Amino acid sequence: MFIVDCDCHNYWCSATVLEPYMEGLFKDMFIRGERTGPRGAFPHGHRPWFHPEGFARHDVNPVEEGDNYLIMKEKHLDKYNIDVAILTGDEPIEASTLANPYYANALCKAYNDYMIDYWLPKDDRFWGSIVVAPQDPHLAAAEIRRAGGHPRVVQVLVSHGASRPYGDPFYHPIYEACAEMGLPFAMHLGGQGGINSTPIGAGPSTFFWETHAILPQTAMTHMASLIANGVFEKWPSLKVVVIECGVAWVPSVLWRLDANYKALRKETPWLKRLPSEYFKDHFRFSTQPLEQPENIQHLWAALEAMDGENTLMFASDYPHWDYDDVNKLHVPPAWREKIFGLNALDVYTRLPRAAAQAAE
Amino acid sequence: MTTKHFACKADEVPQDMAKIVTVSNMPIGVFRLEDGFHALLNICPHKGAALCEGPVCGTTKQTGATEFVYDRAGEIVRCAWHGWEFDIRSGEFLVDPAVKTRRFDISVEGGDLYVHI
Ligand code: FES
Repeated sequence: MFIVDCDCHNYWCSATVLEPYMEGLFKDMFIRGERTGPRGAFPHGHRPWFHPEGFARHDVNPVEEGDNYLIMKEKHLDKYNIDVAILTGDEPIEASTLANPYYANALCKAYNDYMIDYWLPKDDRFWGSIVVAPQDPHLAAAEIRRAGGHPRVVQVLVSHGASRPYGDPFYHPIYEACAEMGLPFAMHLGGQGGINSTPIGAGPSTFFWETHAILPQTAMTHMASLIANGVFEKWPSLKVVVIECGVAWVPSVLWRLDANYKALRKETPWLKRLPSEYFKDHFRFSTQPLEQPENIQHLWAALEAMDGENTLMFASDYPHWDYDDVNKLHVPPAWREKIFGLNALDVYTRLPRAAAQAAE
Repeated sequence: MTTKHFACKADEVPQDMAKIVTVSNMPIGVFRLEDGFHALLNICPHKGAALCEGPVCGTTKQTGATEFVYDRAGEIVRCAWHGWEFDIRSGEFLVDPAVKTRRFDISVEGGDLYVHI
């Protein structure tokens, strides 16, 4: 089976790997400026809660920079015969939490150059996400046009923590650039804290596990906003990938959106179709962490209602604590080929189709 | 009928983490606790991770009040992946003892440890 892992985190031991990719004022800030974490931490306004045991799996213990790849290769890529791993970075998406958009953009640029230089050549299975800081959409768009042309870059990545919902016209320069470069726009859980001051709708939750369970809240807001603001009428080729935000909630929000649109379509006269139709054509969701009900049929009914056969894409979230094992993904057997790889080929159009055929 | 298999030398088992060995084709974690050695199958009943490679630690005691009573230090292993907590002596998952990883008897002969399978 052809397997695309849509959320494979490339770690570093220290953010100082970015130093060679920075210059001028922002290099000074990066070397000497204040940081939230320990030495070598990436600068960002941190979220209000922390995983009490750390994010990473405890059987992944890199000591030197080179270990990050070697352990990933041994414990993930080779072990599960992953054909394509979409690299999703890690700390860099938290650049969205900084109030200074110029510094945030400089950090993203440095990360993108480092990722292209250091990670992509390491393994034929690697394909990259470029990270942008959405707090200045014009700078983000310029970065998409600058780095997005690399043939092994397959998506534009932001955090789902944002200072306003992603459908807002404020962000439209980003979609313009994504559409122009033929890249999907992806949001990954994270980036709460800092200028993204409302981590969860009602204010900050208290405990990590509690917060992690309700992480879909933010993604619900972005999904509704992108549809309602007509982003997909303006850019009909644009795909949006939602990573690590849960999936079983999607049908209930779509049902509500469709029902309300039927009554109040006049608020958004630019829409031509039902919200759920935009969803099916434009949204793709990564599986991890797939909900784990006692009765698997309950999950499958939800997946069915969101056309999961066509809208879901496999992700492992390696090497995080809530990692999903390729062999333990509970999706209907008839959908496996699509969810594990074929759906990703439609979204990440730079992936060679021949690779999929060869793996069959 | 159990048979006894050599696992490792007693002094190879560290204080605060498991020594991972393979005995009759089974991955096993050997732990050193105050009351002696214990052995668990290194396969998590949740999703099959290398359970015993997680941290050996304590946990909070269930209470009726908002208090944090840290308890059982060194008697719990958290699975290396999703962090489910297991009792090192029984192999039981703390949230639901019906879920457990297999445990094995262990014996010490001189400086050698034997697992009984
Ligand atoms: S595999 Fe052990 S807790 Fe999930």
